Amino acid sequence: MDINRRNLLKILGAAGFSTAVAAALTAPFNKRQIANAQSHSGGEDAEHRWVMIIDLRKCIGCDYCVYACQAINDVPDDMRWNVHVVDQTRTGEVFHMTRPCLHCQEPPCADVCPTGATYQRGDGLVVMDYDRCIGCRYCQVACPYDVRRFNWEPVDQDAPANDLQPQWGSAEVERRSRGVTEKCTFCIHRLDRGLEHGLTPGVDEAATPACVNICPVEARIFGDLNDPDSRVSQIIENTPTFRLAEELGTEPNVYYVPAEGMVTT
Amino acid sequence: MTTATAQRTQTAQPPNAPFIIWVGLLGLLMVWGAVSGIIVLTIGLAVTGLTDQVPWGLWIVLDLSAISLGAGAFIFSAIVYLLKLERFRIFARVAVLVGFLGYTSAMLALFLDIGRPDRFFYPIIFPNVHSVLWEITMCVVLYFAVLAAEMAPVVLESRFFSRWPQAAQIGHQIHKATPFLAVVGLGLSLLHQSSLGATYGVIAARPLWYKPSLPIMFILSAAAGGIGATILGVHVVSYFKGKFVIKKKVIEQAAIIAGGMLALYLYIKIWDWATTTYYSSTAARETDLALLRLTTPYDTSFWLVEVLLGGMIPLVIFFWPRLRRNFWWLSLASLLTVVGIVFLRWNVTVAGLVVPLDWSPGSAFLFPRIFYAPTVPELGAFFGIVAYALLGYTLAVRFLPIFEEEEEPPSSMPIDETAPA
Repeated sequence: MDINRRNLLKILGAAGFSTAVAAALTAPFNKRQIANAQSHSGGEDAEHRWVMIIDLRKCIGCDYCVYACQAINDVPDDMRWNVHVVDQTRTGEVFHMTRPCLHCQEPPCADVCPTGATYQRGDGLVVMDYDRCIGCRYCQVACPYDVRRFNWEPVDQDAPANDLQPQWGSAEVERRSRGVTEKCTFCIHRLDRGLEHGLTPGVDEAATPACVNICPVEARIFGDLNDPDSRVSQIIENTPTFRLAEELGTEPNVYYVPAEGMVTT
Repeated sequence: MTTATAQRTQTAQPPNAPFIIWVGLLGLLMVWGAVSGIIVLTIGLAVTGLTDQVPWGLWIVLDLSAISLGAGAFIFSAIVYLLKLERFRIFARVAVLVGFLGYTSAMLALFLDIGRPDRFFYPIIFPNVHSVLWEITMCVVLYFAVLAAEMAPVVLESRFFSRWPQAAQIGHQIHKATPFLAVVGLGLSLLHQSSLGATYGVIAARPLWYKPSLPIMFILSAAAGGIGATILGVHVVSYFKGKFVIKKKVIEQAAIIAGGMLALYLYIKIWDWATTTYYSSTAARETDLALLRLTTPYDTSFWLVEVLLGGMIPLVIFFWPRLRRNFWWLSLASLLTVVGIVFLRWNVTVAGLVVPLDWSPGSAFLFPRIFYAPTVPELGAFFGIVAYALLGYTLAVRFLPIFEEEEEPPSSMPIDETAPA
């Protein structure tokens, strides 16, 4: 094709038209993205912002939070949502690191999910719709904190998932099927039901995550950061805290109080 | 030499012993693959070597590689229908065939790889438009439809359908839409071939992946590998027919295009290595790279296989006229290009995953070395799917009108290529 004035104008016209179409098609998405970003950072349109504080000064490494989580959420030993590792500071002092899902305000796992099975609720919690998950495991690849667990094994719906579960009554949550991913939910089933009954999560045990309730030394504290009088708001205001891998921009909703002698930048 | 060719030409029509052995071998591999597939679908992904730390492995590599090797279809479409280089039109059908087989292989691998194959269509009905993987899924599905439409006339023209005259007519009608399909296919391919690299590139959690160069490397290597795979396919058929099914000169011109793409890819690759190693490096990436080099033979697979065998050597062959004109050297270059792009995908996938994520704020290195090796059912499905693609190619070039009439007199058959051209 010769490049003469006529053809050049044609090409420019086509380019302009396609740009306009692309802009028109993406505009609604951009608007939604901006709206999302505002609701994430400000949290003004959301009534609550659920936050967990883990005090590394207090934690004694008893593993109760790990076990409580397994019992309540029907989690097998090799798929623990809430994990405990023994770490040490640069001066050699041992501390106990426990880690639930951090419920990032900018969750990489929800961004990459092709079906929206992992999504962020209005109150900032990152949760899953197990009925939408296709098991592609992109969320496992994207999560910086190794929070995601996949159901590799066939799931026996009758046998208990672990030795910690009561053999009577029924589990608090449904058992996940083979081939889907799962993760810590901050016990949303307790939060939502508690709020319906006028309870305050973080204060009333029936509306608080199991790991927080069971902690014998109160190393885990839960509450609403949008409520300036809540315990979590008070602690975050008055105590130095840090979050994991903040440089990634994930803005986790789990805050840690550093252990004695720990250098945090 | 001429007699050998004559014999070969004569025995081309009725099935001969090597053909039966070859098809039988592929059949056996496919049985292994089918058994593995059934095991995976009934017992679950627990039978694979995959873990929560390395959730993607051999099948994802197969998937990415098959899609990349199918890139010849869109490259030749662009060359023929946009650049109007008519002499390459003869490549269109074989490139579309390779693409069709590549994309169906990839979808077979994905079907096994996802945990809930019964929900494979969920990205279409529950879209998350922010996900790179969603974009790839949609592009692959739509592009597969394009490839199927481009394949349809070839199948409908075949001898089997000649008993229904309407079939050829329908085929002809579909064929008329080819230029339009080619442009749509080009758009879709440019989108998803690069997004396959972006799948890794957008993951901020993995310092070895988090860089802007991966989409560019993936699309350029796919262009080179797609042409390489097509040339390789043409050469194999030419060898067994004892004559070039596409004019030798046109194959050589295609080789130059492959070489150009490979040169661009290598340039970006070396630039990427230099930037990520020296002047734009981050502490996290340096730590991860050091760990990777300590625990895996990454240096060997990167420099020896990816750069030297899969890049430099084929590049020299593609651009050195004397070597390029030689049938065997050009076959070797095409094969090495294919190997190189498969290794790029393996190295990117596994390297990013086997380095542990260190999220604890302390100083102790807590997380053990992660190991990944495919298990027997994983290998079975892998080889079964590869065998499917090879069998599809073997049968298609035998029974479908993939190549037009003889392009060259038998005097220029490949075995004469040792003589100066």
